[in-house]
Amino acid sequence: MVAKIEGGGRIPAYGYGAPTEAEVVASLARVFGPQRGSEAWAKACRAAGARVGAVTTTAQVTRCAQALAAEGGAFATVARSVDIRMRTYIRLAATAAAPAGGGT
Amino acid sequence: MTISSDPLHDAARLQEIAELGLLSPDVDPILSDVATRAAASLGMPVSLVSVVLDEALQVAASHGIDGLWLNEVGGHPVEWSFCATSVRTRDAFVVPNTHVHPEHRTNPLVTQDGVRCYAGVPLISSRGFVLGNLCVVGMEERTFTEAEIGGLRDLAAEAVRRIEARRR
Repeated sequence: MVAKIEGGGRIPAYGYGAPTEAEVVASLARVFGPQRGSEAWAKACRAAGARVGAVTTTAQVTRCAQALAAEGGAFATVARSVDIRMRTYIRLAATAAAPAGGGT
Repeated sequence: MTISSDPLHDAARLQEIAELGLLSPDVDPILSDVATRAAASLGMPVSLVSVVLDEALQVAASHGIDGLWLNEVGGHPVEWSFCATSVRTRDAFVVPNTHVHPEHRTNPLVTQDGVRCYAGVPLISSRGFVLGNLCVVGMEERTFTEAEIGGLRDLAAEAVRRIEARRR
C-alpha cells in the first residue's frame, strides 16, 4: 500500500491519521533531543533511500522506520511505535473504506 | 523541542524495553498464560500484557482479543492507552465506568470499540523502569476490589520475573 499522507485525511470515527515524517521527527526529538533525533532520522532516511523532508507516503515512512529500527535499542522502540501507529491507520482505514468497496 | 520529561519518552526506559527483548515476538509464549490467568481470576473477557512505548502500546501477550483489530495490529496509539497512566504514576489504574471518566469517555476504544471498564497494574523491572501493564478489560461497568488488584499485582510480578529470566 502506498498512500499519500498529505491530505489523506483522518479516519473520522477515530479522529486518527497516518503518522507523518514531521510526527516521527518530533517523537525522536522528545526522546533523544532535537539534534540526536534529527541525526538518527537523517541516517534512517539515507539507509531507506529517502530524502529528509520529502518522506510523504505511508510506504516511505514505513521504510524509514524500518531503517531506524535497525539502529536497535531505544531507537528500535520509537520505530516500533511508528510501525504500530501505521498499522493501526492502515487497518482502521481499510475498515472505514470497506462499505464503499475502496481502499486507502 | 527539548527532551520530554514525560516518563513515556524516557530514553533509558525505552532502552530497558529493548534490552529485555520486549520487541521480540518470542515474548508472547512466556506471558500468554499470565494474561489468561488474569482474565480468569477476575472473570473478565480480555486481558493484556502491554508494553508501553513512547507513542504506541504494544500487545506483548493477550487473552480474548482474537478477531479484533487490536490483535491484527498488535497494539494501538498511545493516546488511546489506559496503560500509559501507570507508566506515569507507577501505580494501579482502575476505571470502573469509562463512560463517565473525564479522560477516557471520548477515547475511541470506548466510543468505537466498546471498552467499558479497565483495571491495570504496572510491570516494573528490577532496575525500576515501568515497562507496561498487566490489565483486564471489560465491556460492562464493573468495580474492582483491593484483593482483585492485589491478585493482578502478583501476576504482574510473575510476568516481570519471566521477562527478566530471558536476560540472564
